[in-house]
Amino acid sequence: MTKILEVKNLNTSFFTHLGEVQAVRGNSFTLNKGEILGIVGESGSGKSVTAMSIMGLIDHPGEIKSGEIIFNGENIAKKTNKEMSNIRGKEISMIFQDPMTSLNPVYTIENLMVEVIQRHKRVSKKEARRLAIEKLELVGIPEPAGRIKSFPHEFSGGMRQRAMIATALSCDPKLLIADEPTTALDVTIQAQILDILKKLAKELDTSIMIITHDLGVIAETCTKIIVMYGGLIMEKGPIDEIFYNPQHPYTIGLLNSVPRMDVEEKGRLIPIPGSPPDLMNPPNGCPFSTRCPRVMQICKEEPVPTFKVNDNHTSACWLLHKDAPEVGGFAKGSEIID
Amino acid sequence: MADNRFVFLDSNLEDAEKVRPSLTYWQDAWRRLKKNKLSMIGVVTIIFVLLFALLGPFFTPFSYSDQDNQYKNLPPVLDIFNVDEDANFYLSSDYNMFRLSDNGRLEERLKNTDKDPINKIYTYIMNVDGVDREVVLDFSYNLLPTKQGYDYDYTITYEGVEYTQPTGNMWNKTYPFGTDDLGRDLLTRIMFGTRISLLVAFIATLVNLFIGVVYGSIAGFEGGRIDDIMMRIVDIINSVPLVLYVILLMVLFNEGGLWNIVIALSTVYWVSMARLVRGQMLSLKEQEFVLAARVIGVPKHKIIFRHLIPNAMGPIIVSMTMMIPSAVFTEAFLSFIGLGVSAPMASLGVLANNALSGLLTYPYLLFFPAMTIAIIILAFNFLGDGLRDALDPRLRKG
Amino acid sequence: MSNYESYSKGVLYMSGYYARRIVSALITILLISSLTFIMMHAVPGGPFTRERPVPDEILRTLNEKYNLDASYFEQYVDYMKGLVTFDLGPSYSKVGTSVNDLLISGFPISAKIGLMASVLIVVLGIPVGIISALKQNKPIDYLVMFLATVGVTVPSFVMATLIIYFFAGKLNWIPSFGVSDWRGYIGPVLALSGYSLSFVARLTRSSMLEVLQQDYIRTARANGIREFKVIAKHAVKNAMIPVVTYIGPMVAAILTGSFVIEKIFALPGLGRHFIESITNRDYTTIMGMTIVYAVFYIIMIFLVDIAYGFIDPRIKLGKGKA
Repeated sequence: MTKILEVKNLNTSFFTHLGEVQAVRGNSFTLNKGEILGIVGESGSGKSVTAMSIMGLIDHPGEIKSGEIIFNGENIAKKTNKEMSNIRGKEISMIFQDPMTSLNPVYTIENLMVEVIQRHKRVSKKEARRLAIEKLELVGIPEPAGRIKSFPHEFSGGMRQRAMIATALSCDPKLLIADEPTTALDVTIQAQILDILKKLAKELDTSIMIITHDLGVIAETCTKIIVMYGGLIMEKGPIDEIFYNPQHPYTIGLLNSVPRMDVEEKGRLIPIPGSPPDLMNPPNGCPFSTRCPRVMQICKEEPVPTFKVNDNHTSACWLLHKDAPEVGGFAKGSEIID
Repeated sequence: MADNRFVFLDSNLEDAEKVRPSLTYWQDAWRRLKKNKLSMIGVVTIIFVLLFALLGPFFTPFSYSDQDNQYKNLPPVLDIFNVDEDANFYLSSDYNMFRLSDNGRLEERLKNTDKDPINKIYTYIMNVDGVDREVVLDFSYNLLPTKQGYDYDYTITYEGVEYTQPTGNMWNKTYPFGTDDLGRDLLTRIMFGTRISLLVAFIATLVNLFIGVVYGSIAGFEGGRIDDIMMRIVDIINSVPLVLYVILLMVLFNEGGLWNIVIALSTVYWVSMARLVRGQMLSLKEQEFVLAARVIGVPKHKIIFRHLIPNAMGPIIVSMTMMIPSAVFTEAFLSFIGLGVSAPMASLGVLANNALSGLLTYPYLLFFPAMTIAIIILAFNFLGDGLRDALDPRLRKG
Repeated sequence: MSNYESYSKGVLYMSGYYARRIVSALITILLISSLTFIMMHAVPGGPFTRERPVPDEILRTLNEKYNLDASYFEQYVDYMKGLVTFDLGPSYSKVGTSVNDLLISGFPISAKIGLMASVLIVVLGIPVGIISALKQNKPIDYLVMFLATVGVTVPSFVMATLIIYFFAGKLNWIPSFGVSDWRGYIGPVLALSGYSLSFVARLTRSSMLEVLQQDYIRTARANGIREFKVIAKHAVKNAMIPVVTYIGPMVAAILTGSFVIEKIFALPGLGRHFIESITNRDYTTIMGMTIVYAVFYIIMIFLVDIAYGFIDPRIKLGKGKA
């Protein structure tokens, strides 16, 4: 497995005039070629900021405080905006949540796509156009040669999202980040978009990072999951591990709060009570301590280390410490990494 | 890592988000408005201007039409020659000599007893304790061929002392803003002028408000064909710059007069209010409380006046606040082209227009009315901007 | 539908849209001229009522000459015929001159100044607004916004008088009246453009600020487009949409502003003739010039509508009229 991206201890904050908002407080993870990684969490958990940090799109008053983002052997966290603009759209691409507003309404799709292609490749306009049509076909837009001359408002929501994906793919990036790609779309269109993403990973070996709050999307597409809360990674691992062997109360809470078709008995949905922490004054210990049903005193006082559950599965919960009380389902006594 | 900290706690949920007390729309808007420094400056200025216009004249010794021929065209700040106690001379540009007291009051105009145009010497008499003393003005310097190359253009001689430069300057305490060409106190005239300008603006705005709200509500609420026709009429009116209509009407009326101007202004400026209200109506009438009212059987006009219009008050208020400076401007503009209120009533615009011809010699005559116009417009604009931000429901944080 | 179908439907819609606008404009012109005619003839006393009574002989000759003895309706028809053939009739107060003559004599100066003012507004106002938006809350932004606020609140005639007082009276950089040399244009152009220049700067700035927050700007950056192009290509075109909408009112402001500016700076332009005709109650001239102004304005609005269609493709296909 070739490593495409390695994030080491990423810390990103926003220095507003009211104080420092610590959006990401020390994330570390890796992504390999052809993998689809899902980052799941509530609003404010830091998942979008992680993605924007990787892209170098964190703007004043925010900045990457510390940490490394290793892509293609280089630490891109330190690159200037100008340097990053060479990477964005070419090596790493990103698509966003709302397709209705994410395309410039006064230019044609052709104009927008050719611009991106010619920015990163030395090709003629004709060649760029051909490449654009090719990508539109790849994402399933009918009659791409004709439709490329349309304006964004002439496309439906699903088509616009596909056009965005096509643009993002136009220069064959190694990594595609998708921030809530299906949230604003109908369920049927959702499925189609997710299919496209899966196809990309399989056929072109593109690594994909999907950010979402929807566990269903994760279950459908991802091979690896990261669960974030309060700016920190709570748990990460392969999809089967996370779904069938969750080792963090927050993950368990999330799984319980989603209606599932594979559960026989019709139990109640259990929401997680409380609200997310204030990132200007993050709590000392585990960010989930204020809402955790199994909170211990140490959880409120000491920052939680990362415990290794097994080969690819880690979790940041004090319940995994050898001194913690025995709780059913939790692999107490796991090794500490960190 | 102490062992005893691995102990379960009772789950007490501390909510991270603070719950704030909720405010009504108006409370929230007032709070936001107060925070906006510029609009608060605007409010204070408007109050000050109102006091100035309404109460000011009671504090000046003159009325707006009192003329004093002796004291024509005196500026507010005077270059004076202090020759003695309570004896400060001021020389006007038309060669009149005045005496001022030490605290700036105009005491008298000195009688000009002799004029020698050949040698360019004028003589004046000042009576001090019963004795006539001479004041001699010699302005032949740099004028006559024999007297060239001097630093100064004139000398004033009194009691043997020759003065070539003013000794200082004084604020004209009798006429703080100076006088016009008929010797009328400019300060009082400006107070009255402000009254008239604001009166015209307020009345015209109110009439426009009324017509506009009614017209717009009907168009927006009825919708369909009625709306189409009504808006088509508005479009046609709007195809031509509104000022042209006003000009034509004023020419038709043939004389100025407050009411004529108000009527002229009210004939066309309601269209912007109508369009705004119609827009509000169109979006509000889809809401459920309207449906509910209809179902209960509330008659149409009641729905409009008691339910819809109050909800549209925000933009209406902002629009009204912005209409006032616009009306002040238009009235001043009309005065400038000769279609303002007629004498002796003078609005700020008329005062400014009258002052035009003497701009270079008596700039203060134009400066004060113009400043007042600008201050009024500025204050209302600041307030209007602040109101627009404060009343915008999208910016609500309460 | 295929692209061809939607395109041709669009063309049909647009030509229908334009056709309706033209018809609407013609109706407006008809209404305005009739209105003006009615109003002028509603003035009591006829056009020759002056302070000094006119001798009967002359009165009779004039009435004959101007066909004032004919019926109301006949005069109306005459006038309308004249309008269609662009003959606006003779001037009442300046005997021997026709309204057309006045228009022709005054046009060059007013056109020059109006054009210069318009160019200044676009060439200075828009870039200043853009720069202000890019450097939001920095000193240059505060300075520009302060000046713009002053420019918007100080009426044009006040500005004109200030300019004369300081730059002509005190500093002697420009003449205080007339356009005998090129420097005489500076004062009027500045005073005339002051308001609209400030308005356009503010409008461009707020429009840019709003556009820069939009998602499609983020998309452009995420695709690696260079920052300069993001601003110049992606942001500016969108930001211009509301600015183009202002051009109509801007033309109105320049038109009406010219009345006062030409009077203050003593320029022999259309505006001054118009004011004079008002003061002299020269009814044909008032009528004629009002109609000319109205028509000019309507044409400008129409052109703006067309321009708008080129910038914003969304209005082309059935998004509805503004």
